[in-house]
Amino acid sequence: MKKLNYIIAAFLVMVWMPSMGQTPKGSVLIKNATVITITQGTLEDTDILVENGIIKKIGKGLTANNVTTIDAKGKYVMPGIIDAHSHVALDAVNEATAPITSEVQMADVVDPYDIGLYRALAGGVTISHAMHGSANAIGGQNITLKHRYGTFNPEDLFMKEAPRTIKFALGENPTRVHGRGKNIQPRTRMGVEAVIRNGFNEALQYKKAWETYESALKQKGATPIPPKNDARLQTLVDILDGKVIIHCHSYRADEIYALINTCRDFGITNIVFSHVNEGFKVAPELAEYTMGASVFADWWAYKFEVYYSTAYNAAILTENGVITSINSDSGELIRHLYHEAGKTQRYGQLSDEQALALITINPAKQLGIADKVGSIEEGKQGDLVIFNDHPLSVYAIPQMTFVDGVKYFDLNEDQNDMRIRVSANEMVEPIFLKEHDHNCMHGVDFFFTNFGRNLFEHSH
Amino acid sequence: MNINTKIKLLGSFIVAVFFIAYSSVQAQSDPSGTKRVTSTYAIKNATITTSPGKTITGATILFKDGLIQAVGTNINLPAGTDVIDGDSLFIYPGFIDGASSAGVTRPSEPERPANFDSSNPSDELAGITPWRNVIDQVDMNNNAISDWRKAGFTVAHMIPDGGMISGKSAIVVFGSSSSTNILGQNTALSTRFRGSRGMYPGTPLGVMAKFRDVYKNTELSAKHQNIFASNVGLNRPEINKTYEAMYPVINKNIPVIFEVSNDLEIRRALRLQKELGFNLMLLGVTEVDKVISEIKAANATVLLALTLPEDKSKNKSEKLNEEAQGRTDRVKEAYETALKQAGMLEEAGIKFGFTTSGAKTGDLMKNIKIMIDNGLSEDAALAALTINNAQNLGIQKFAGTLEKGKLANMVITTAPLFTEDAQIKHVVADGYVFDYETKPKKAANGNKNGNGAAGVSGTWEYVSDTPAGSSGGMMTIDNSATGYEGTITYDDPAGNGKAQATMKNITVKDGKMSFTFDVSAGGMEISVSVNGDLTDDQFTGRMSLAEFGSFPLTATKKPNQSNL
Amino acid sequence: MALVLLPMIAQAQQFDGEFIKPRNGKFLLQNATVVTVTKGNIQNGSVLIVNGKIEAVGTNIPAGDAEVIDCTGQFIYPGLFDGGGRLGLVEVNSVPETQDFSEIGNVTPNMQALVAVNPNSEAIPVTRVSGVTTTLANPSGGIFPGTAALINLNGYTPDQMYAGFKGIILNFPTSARRSTWDRRSEEEVKKDAERAQKNLNDIWERAVKYQSMKAAKAELDYYPEMEQLAKAVTGELPLLVEVNAASDIEVAIKWIQDKGVKAILTGVAEGWRVADKIAASGLPVITGPMLSIPTRQSDRYDAAYTNPGKMAKAGVKVVIRSNDAENTRNLPFNAGFAAAYGMGKEEALKAVTINAAEVFGIADRRGSIEAGKDATLFVSSGDPFETRTQIIHVFIDGYRVPMSNRHIKLYQEFLERSPGLEK
Repeated sequence: MKKLNYIIAAFLVMVWMPSMGQTPKGSVLIKNATVITITQGTLEDTDILVENGIIKKIGKGLTANNVTTIDAKGKYVMPGIIDAHSHVALDAVNEATAPITSEVQMADVVDPYDIGLYRALAGGVTISHAMHGSANAIGGQNITLKHRYGTFNPEDLFMKEAPRTIKFALGENPTRVHGRGKNIQPRTRMGVEAVIRNGFNEALQYKKAWETYESALKQKGATPIPPKNDARLQTLVDILDGKVIIHCHSYRADEIYALINTCRDFGITNIVFSHVNEGFKVAPELAEYTMGASVFADWWAYKFEVYYSTAYNAAILTENGVITSINSDSGELIRHLYHEAGKTQRYGQLSDEQALALITINPAKQLGIADKVGSIEEGKQGDLVIFNDHPLSVYAIPQMTFVDGVKYFDLNEDQNDMRIRVSANEMVEPIFLKEHDHNCMHGVDFFFTNFGRNLFEHSH
Repeated sequence: MNINTKIKLLGSFIVAVFFIAYSSVQAQSDPSGTKRVTSTYAIKNATITTSPGKTITGATILFKDGLIQAVGTNINLPAGTDVIDGDSLFIYPGFIDGASSAGVTRPSEPERPANFDSSNPSDELAGITPWRNVIDQVDMNNNAISDWRKAGFTVAHMIPDGGMISGKSAIVVFGSSSSTNILGQNTALSTRFRGSRGMYPGTPLGVMAKFRDVYKNTELSAKHQNIFASNVGLNRPEINKTYEAMYPVINKNIPVIFEVSNDLEIRRALRLQKELGFNLMLLGVTEVDKVISEIKAANATVLLALTLPEDKSKNKSEKLNEEAQGRTDRVKEAYETALKQAGMLEEAGIKFGFTTSGAKTGDLMKNIKIMIDNGLSEDAALAALTINNAQNLGIQKFAGTLEKGKLANMVITTAPLFTEDAQIKHVVADGYVFDYETKPKKAANGNKNGNGAAGVSGTWEYVSDTPAGSSGGMMTIDNSATGYEGTITYDDPAGNGKAQATMKNITVKDGKMSFTFDVSAGGMEISVSVNGDLTDDQFTGRMSLAEFGSFPLTATKKPNQSNL
Repeated sequence: MALVLLPMIAQAQQFDGEFIKPRNGKFLLQNATVVTVTKGNIQNGSVLIVNGKIEAVGTNIPAGDAEVIDCTGQFIYPGLFDGGGRLGLVEVNSVPETQDFSEIGNVTPNMQALVAVNPNSEAIPVTRVSGVTTTLANPSGGIFPGTAALINLNGYTPDQMYAGFKGIILNFPTSARRSTWDRRSEEEVKKDAERAQKNLNDIWERAVKYQSMKAAKAELDYYPEMEQLAKAVTGELPLLVEVNAASDIEVAIKWIQDKGVKAILTGVAEGWRVADKIAASGLPVITGPMLSIPTRQSDRYDAAYTNPGKMAKAGVKVVIRSNDAENTRNLPFNAGFAAAYGMGKEEALKAVTINAAEVFGIADRRGSIEAGKDATLFVSSGDPFETRTQIIHVFIDGYRVPMSNRHIKLYQEFLERSPGLEK
């Protein structure tokens, strides 16, 4: 019966309805597994008890009443995989119309129906960082999603505990879109740097204007006039105040170094560089001044600024002490990040622990959620994946994926057709022969602007 | 005078004024001989449903000068009453359209300045024109309006077309062409998640942010004006027509009417409402089943689309394998769910109204009957066409039911409204009686569409919504001896403004138009084909770019200059 | 800040160039597990390479004057084939000046991929150190985009690289929608497909006419497109029929049978839906990448992973491709996913070795480790589909190629940058 999947969806909704705003929390006891904790070694023949969404106990011979028990003998359990750079479950990706769009919020355009969420779960990914695209020097505010697939309400996917983050972008994309596309700054890497610096300086003025107003208000009998509201500058103020983590699309060492300097000048330390193909060239600087680098395992040569890159990037960064993660930026790659992490053993011979940290605790650190997820520890959230084999083996297949102790993927029980929403208007389903959704330049180059080429190539 | 009171006055309806002015009709000669002899009518011995669930048989309704004088079984008709025999007729309150685009033309885009900065366009270029009034866009003599009247609509909430904030709506009655027919102006602020072409805001992301920006700065601007009015020695406020036009919204004197195309857009509108606190009307609601409780919690007004999907699973005669059958079943289920939306709203106790926006006159009764077959009660259906919308629009004092003192707006049918045999025989709007032929089988009713030649030639402005935001340009079509010829402009792939191409294979037939043109992009020559429906000066269709996809395209013909 | 790098430095040195250019000679690879593919595994086996050929395979082969390479604990595999992609035809994907895979025109079968293969592409040494030694360079765009060529990833001219197979690509007309933005009505889709099908048939009819007139020794005007297509008409060159949607596959099979051409199906993303029909046709299939999203939203999440296994089980001869350029090195991982998701390791290995050699008509020389075949093989620390495995030596036509490339050199330079944070 194909109906089971939406019965499941309906069930989830039923559970959620009575307590709107409360996402479901589950309990489960996984027994006799090889538990890859990431932070506390690998434990053989060990049990994990999750209660109400939280890992209650890790140990041997655990028991619990009225809790689903799964015998995972011979299987491997690792923390839910975290993707620090994704565009899955977004209705729109790029507000590519201005060099700074820090006022826009990806939270406004989350699409809970995206089958990409389920496919990510089937690859063990429980959290993704749904990002604005890379068209603008300063893009929009991102949203960290927990893959609670099955809800109709986008807000149920939000990881409300996660701090705010924002997208920045350097290099070819912002200079092409704005400089060459529209004849406004930036057209060069000089311009990108200047646009960002200008933004921060204007933000300081804006902050001052409001502070002056607020303090004048406290004067007795004063009638100050309020300044204009500017969410764009206010967001930059929040970055300067350390409330927002920057995730910056970047490739070349020079542009990375330039933004590190800008951030140092403005006292910003919450910055993660994304893609960062030439990050290995400035690894000591990334280690010293930033929250690290989130890279592709092996992508290169899809555009000029990634021609001089290396698949050993993650290994070099890791060995230099940079907090390093491997991200997908793709609705395809997100399904096998464990395999992407495995490539660091081909290219740089990282240890199992180092390799798996790239897709768990490290991205958790970069998203500011490492105290809640990213490893299997008592007190952390019950985001877990069970594999039939060691997750770094190419032959490993995820068996079950849990978010907050609730099972959202089961290899053996799920139906083939896992869509939540079906259009009444469709009969012949679209066939996607090439992935061209869910990437950084989504929507920008698609139509009438270089569209033939960029449609069918990587355009990150 | 306090600034806030002024704003309230500005925003309030001018209905009262309208009534006073109307009652004194001037007598005058009419050499054309078409003027009616009297403005007093009665329909006798009919079955009158005065409001949903309240029906009187053998009753008479008397109305004079556009106002209902009496409804009941025992009514004295004054001399000079034009009496219509109502035997075997059924009378209902005239339908009220919760939101209509009939006869509305989208204003053309202003020219972009030479040093245009796409990241910071003027409000007008960016589609933020809250000061516009739909009355300036609507042609009350447009066929679309008489078509909807023929379908039973007597009052409509007209929505201005345009960008993300297109302007203010108005309430009109579909009465005589000798009146302005305006019942109220500046009744709601019309908005949608529509980005601007090639400028900020270009996508729903930017639209959401820009809406917040406009709203919050309107509040600050009002604050500034207040402080300025009651203090000395302060910087003067910058008078901005966007903010001025937004004051009635922030003061909650008028609602924001958001055009929504699916449940996710409904949620976006609700999100803005929750943050900013305005009164919300949702226009063109579909897929409401997934978001009913949230709508209820927000107390938003629902204007349900009268459109329904086609049953795509029908007419699949070939046998399907198990997998294809499974997919077909899901489409079928989605279709069935779509039919139940109205019933679900009724069950949830939401007093929704219907909107004709996006619908065709021919589908009106057909679709409502389908909704009734799928759980909607007849009373709720009638309410959604009448009293609910009167309440939604705040005109229940004088419209929505058949009672003494209300506007003489009614629909008169040959059988109970939602039955198979029901045909509309008369529509009374604003006291004017419009008669329609009722034949068992109506002859093809349209020779107005698709007659080609004169209709198509001219200059058209088109817009196409694509994943990259909206895109558009001009089409110029000529009718030459050898057939149609034309050129089309489009956004140059290289990003250098507009490029031009020859329109090929222009075909106009049976109310449809199609053509192709070639675009070269990135070294590729791509053939673009366009086809769709043509009505007078509107074209609605799709633009296909070979396998790259196809996108909705709408075009509006510019008025022919030489004919003015 | 101190770096704890000691073990890594040791590892990095293994890439240091003992030699910087490919070297020919006599080599004896000793004490390895030889995975012959066709004749089982030989424990403690050796492979003797002489003059570009495998001279002997077995145990206890005397070294003679051959250079001995100890492979204790290691594995010897035949060089892997990638069944199709753009390697060599593009350097930087987004830079048009470096794109040599798509010519202007709809019918350009006379465009020869082999002419445009850049032997000095940076991507070639990046690829071959993965054990992928042989790839099919595919032109693209239009209905007949050109003639693909099989190349070995060693050589300084295209002719030195040529591996003995060419095929004319036919992008078979599709009735599928291509994205969520493709909102043509069903009728439009059908009409467009019919139009495209008619167009193909018209072109083909001209090719048949051209060929028959030519065979009748008629004096024909210069017509290079038909000249090349005529080779497919006669069967001198096979057609590589790119087709992906299930219904299109069925139409394509019928078309191929009607025209009586020699053909290989490529792409075949939805082959699993019609696996029995493909098997019944006897047509071989080049499919991939496995690492791609399902063709339909309603498909099982692993539809692309399981596709080759399902076709193989139905009896189809399957070859795997990456359909990539710079990351053709991911071919073994695609095979690994195919193996994990139903194909099995043995069959997946065949799909990138002997099956490919057979489909390309060079199984007498390639595809397995057997005496007399070309010495195109590699030595690895383990299963080459596993990411943790290191590839230690690669031989192409008997040339031992340097295990270095730009990626490795950057690793060597930057693992411990000097100066570091402070100068």
